[in-house]
Amino acid sequence: MLTSSLPVRFRRVAVRLVVAALAAISLTASVRSQQKPRFYSDDPITREPESQDASKARVYEIQQMYEMVYNLFVNPSYKPSGLRAKNLNTIDEVPDSSWFTNRIGTTPIALDAIARGPIVGAPPDPSRWVLIREKTAGVHPGFTAKDAKGETWFLQFDPPTNPEGATAAVVVATKIFWALGYNQVESYLTTFDPKNVEIDPKATVKRPSGKRTPFTHDDINAILERVARNADGTYRVIAGRLIPGYLGNFLFERTRTDDPNDLVPHEHRRELRALRVFGAWTNLTDLKAANTLDALATVNGRTIVKHYLQDVGSTFGMCNDFHEWDLSWEHFYQGDATLKRFFSFGFALSPWQTVPYQEYRSIGKFEGDVFDPRTWRPQTPTTAYLELRDDDAFWAARRVAAFTDELIRAAVHTGQFSDPAAEKLLGDVLIKRRNKIASIYLTGLNPVVNPQLDAGGRLTVENAAVIAGVAKAPSAYRAAWFLFDNATGETKPLSETQSAAATIAAPSGLPSAAGSMIAIDIAADSAEHPVWKQPVRTYFRRTATGWTLVGLERLPERVPAGKTDASPAR
Amino acid sequence: MCRAVVLRVLLAVPAAGVATAAAAQEPQTRQAVIEQQQAEKVKTLQPQEGNRGERVVARLEAMLTGLGGSHWYPFFSNAYAGGGFALGAGYRMYVGPYSTLAVQGSYSIRGYKRVEALFTAPRLFNRRGELSIIGGWREATQVGFFGLGMDTSTDDRTNFGFTRPHFSASLTLRPTRRFLTLGGGLEWTRWSEQPGVGRYPSIETVYTPATLPGIGAEPTYVHSHVMAGIDWRTSPGYARRGGSYATTLHDYADRDKAFGFQQIDYELVQHVPILREAWVISLRSYVRTLHGKSGQAIPFFMLPGLGGGSNLRGYSSFRFRDRNGMLLQAEWRIMANRYLDSAVFYDAGKVTAHTSDLDFNGLRSNFGFGVRFHSPFTTPLRIDLAKGREGYVLVFSNTAVF
Repeated sequence: MLTSSLPVRFRRVAVRLVVAALAAISLTASVRSQQKPRFYSDDPITREPESQDASKARVYEIQQMYEMVYNLFVNPSYKPSGLRAKNLNTIDEVPDSSWFTNRIGTTPIALDAIARGPIVGAPPDPSRWVLIREKTAGVHPGFTAKDAKGETWFLQFDPPTNPEGATAAVVVATKIFWALGYNQVESYLTTFDPKNVEIDPKATVKRPSGKRTPFTHDDINAILERVARNADGTYRVIAGRLIPGYLGNFLFERTRTDDPNDLVPHEHRRELRALRVFGAWTNLTDLKAANTLDALATVNGRTIVKHYLQDVGSTFGMCNDFHEWDLSWEHFYQGDATLKRFFSFGFALSPWQTVPYQEYRSIGKFEGDVFDPRTWRPQTPTTAYLELRDDDAFWAARRVAAFTDELIRAAVHTGQFSDPAAEKLLGDVLIKRRNKIASIYLTGLNPVVNPQLDAGGRLTVENAAVIAGVAKAPSAYRAAWFLFDNATGETKPLSETQSAAATIAAPSGLPSAAGSMIAIDIAADSAEHPVWKQPVRTYFRRTATGWTLVGLERLPERVPAGKTDASPAR
Repeated sequence: MCRAVVLRVLLAVPAAGVATAAAAQEPQTRQAVIEQQQAEKVKTLQPQEGNRGERVVARLEAMLTGLGGSHWYPFFSNAYAGGGFALGAGYRMYVGPYSTLAVQGSYSIRGYKRVEALFTAPRLFNRRGELSIIGGWREATQVGFFGLGMDTSTDDRTNFGFTRPHFSASLTLRPTRRFLTLGGGLEWTRWSEQPGVGRYPSIETVYTPATLPGIGAEPTYVHSHVMAGIDWRTSPGYARRGGSYATTLHDYADRDKAFGFQQIDYELVQHVPILREAWVISLRSYVRTLHGKSGQAIPFFMLPGLGGGSNLRGYSSFRFRDRNGMLLQAEWRIMANRYLDSAVFYDAGKVTAHTSDLDFNGLRSNFGFGVRFHSPFTTPLRIDLAKGREGYVLVFSNTAVF
């Protein structure tokens, strides 16, 4: 019995072992096949896919009072996540999308290109305006009207205190924000002659009662009485082309629930966080969802949602009216400033009470000497504004710094200021503010950019702060080299090299097989900027002809919230 | 050997199968990863709608601004000064693009009652005129009367009450649409003076019709008035700059020709901004004089009064009464933020029997500190603590002091 049972038991054990081995092998195969590579073959992507039809999206307009109350009284307790923006490609850049198109800083922009900005169509024909309803967006008074060619435009006038100011601000700001990469409304400076104005018989105006009643000549007069008039009786206006497919506003947090292509929460979109820097530069204080616009657009035969910064007219010195000084220095409500003034009976002066302005009526209150982008404040803080990290600010500052003096003056010139001194001042201030932004945000992090590794193993880097002229070149660049396993994410140290120049030799032993990968930590030694010692992690993939940059991390995935230089105390 | 083949097959098939299935499911490019996530979101799409907070704020905003249709709204105005905190409600309905018809009422902690219907047409004559028609009824139950003149004591306080039905129409014209203001109006009203309630003696226990004209009287007035002024403040409800200079002539014609009189009001208001409007020095002077008609007396309850939350704030309402009144007010207003001001203030004033006595001698004064919650055009909450010779007074109001 005993002898006869031994082989049977042995067979049972053997079968169990085989089953266990099969299971282990299957599991291993499964894990290996399911483990996502760190980098895909198409990394870094240059365009965010929009693969799904969004035609079922419907109009959503933010309740403006709610937005203001929420931003002012709920958002101050918001704890920024400290997370890296989530719409980046693997080299820390924002790919093109329905939100953003890489322009300045990525491709050269000629003077005539920035002067043209978002304009692709023909200007309005102002020989006849047919008013069809009131203006529905923006702070300055205006109408919705059809020109002599029958095209619909939003007309906006200048306030009497600032002739040329509001209209010029819209024109200039649309050029700048277009160059920065945002979708902009086509806007033209043109004229409005009351003698050439008709009211569409079907035109209506929404009254306080909530009802729409016929548009009357008194409605025209009510607008024209409170806007700046030219000496010849005409009016200078800005005409914004109607964008078809109106869907209302986008929010600065969460995603659109009716847009299948909208995956990244808006507070984690870098181009929306970066508006804190761009807003500071241009003084875009009225930064809110109500000034944005979503619209259905057909791209490559597919209906998608396109996102616009619709109203960028509250910029430069036009962010505030003649009697407002605190805008851009404080939110509409700020607890610390409130307490300080309240308990000091106003003797503790706020910066906006003493900052000197060289005021032109066509420019308003806009200065660059006291300006500090870290203490600049929009009217209300959006969630995306609060989520700005140093690497977001660095990305934004590179774009601001990419505006040459000539580009800035070309954009400003489109404002058609009648006073050359006013035009010069606006350009001067933008240049000063650009320089402040560059000197603060480009030096606050390791500013190594555009790393390139040639086939011969020479690593070349650029320094964004040095290029912008806001820092001296570091005394040395140091590179730590690693082998990198794309499947597991593991690194194996190779060696460290350094150079006093921006070209660093690679150590021996770099892999040569196509598809193999390495990681390089690049740091810089600068007595003035010790923070540059914090390395930028880069990843390269070997190709048949050399090395291709596939990854760049300027900061870790998560940084302590509120600890970054770009995040001033609120 | 056969067993070895079986084992190899057993080993190979699941591994290959798992790998093949996983490869079929797992996207191999970044683009495919994102597209897969977008395809997943299609299954969970929902309409983009405002949240509950947005709906609540929208309703509140419509209620408080009156814009966007018919709405209930809170109503805090009292029937008469000194009634204490009043709470009520109103319902406003649009009867035209801009014109409204409203009914509103309030009840105060001292039992003052106010009910009225109000028609307002704010855009007449191409935005040059505003018509207001009001019909209503008010009752006050314990209005203080301390005697005439400045030399009275708080120990002299008596109370009286009144009911007052009224119906009026007034028209305000702005010929240039701003600055210059002209106005006029006509009112029918009947004052029925009544014994007072509360912890102070009722007025008829101390005075008689002979010693104090108006006791027990029920004059029916046709009250007409005209006014002219210049107003360049941003808003009467809240301003940080500008001024208002106005005079108003009133005629109170008693149907029984027993209590008729005329009244002239002068008011100057000036706001002087300092340090870019972070400070504002606000000044107001106000003079009211009454002139009796031949053979007619002026009832005591129509005499100008000083004291209360909007004038001499360190004294109780109508602490001083006489035929003429003068008030000087100064405030140093400090902007805390766009919605909150604090203020240090000083009020001084007097009442006199004769206009010639309206001078700066013998003024009664107070000082104090206040906070005001405001919008760009209104002051929905003002809290002032004033100290006068007779103690402290805490004022809660839903209007600007001036």
